[in-house]
Amino acid sequence: MNPILFWAREVLALLFFLFFLVFGLSGLLGLFRFPDPWSRLQASSVTSTTSVFSLLTALLLIAPSWAMASRILIIMAFFMISSPTGSHIIARFLWFSGLPHWMPEEKDKG
Amino acid sequence: MRARTLWNLIRWVLSGSVFFLVWLFFSSETSLFAHLLGLAGAMLISALTYRVFLADHEAGLRYFFPNPIWVVVLIVRLSWSFYLSSFRIVGTILGGPCRPRIVHFRTRLKSDLARFALANFITWTPGTITLDLDDDHLTVFWFYADTAHRRLAGEKIKEGLEGILGKVWV
Repeated sequence: MNPILFWAREVLALLFFLFFLVFGLSGLLGLFRFPDPWSRLQASSVTSTTSVFSLLTALLLIAPSWAMASRILIIMAFFMISSPTGSHIIARFLWFSGLPHWMPEEKDKG
Repeated sequence: MRARTLWNLIRWVLSGSVFFLVWLFFSSETSLFAHLLGLAGAMLISALTYRVFLADHEAGLRYFFPNPIWVVVLIVRLSWSFYLSSFRIVGTILGGPCRPRIVHFRTRLKSDLARFALANFITWTPGTITLDLDDDHLTVFWFYADTAHRRLAGEKIKEGLEGILGKVWV
């Protein structure tokens, strides 16, 4: 492989691994910082979707063969369907349970 | 051949082809025996499930077969807004502002698959979660609501996604 392409691929993969770490840790932090299930669901969606998607993208970039890359692509496609479905089921249950969502204080509003 | 029988046959072959493609991607097998075995398995599963995947009333190929060029545009557009929203959520986690609210709006999309995709992508993007999809009516929990106006809220949440989805499907 062309050395420039090789390095570009490695640097991009590293960037996406960094995203994985940052979003994963932020999501975990959000689970503790947010006060109610509605907003915690937002934090967990960052953890589950953005960080895992970044991880899979990084793995796709450094996949050693087309066979491996195609498997990762299929996993990404399934993940894009299953992850929102899980969040939706929890949110729908919250909605039907009638639990009110958290309203931040006026000074916290943007 | 009766029209309904022909339509059932088309649905069976189409869903079987998609299953076979997924199997090819996942197995990465190259031998003829493996291909035949995969095809037989895909067609068998398709015979049992095509009614679930391709609804009987959607008798138009554009209702479930995506336009490949617009799929690429959709993925690029979605990834961009996906990362932007994620950074915004990280900002909120670290002490930034938010204004949670449940909003209702309608979609112009016609096919079930396009509506499902819109609801799914809204949930997939951090900051918005679809609570309900009833015909063309969506109920969404929006973490950064800056309006209660139905149409405006809908336009802000969909952010052009609906237009692209309308070109991918109908």
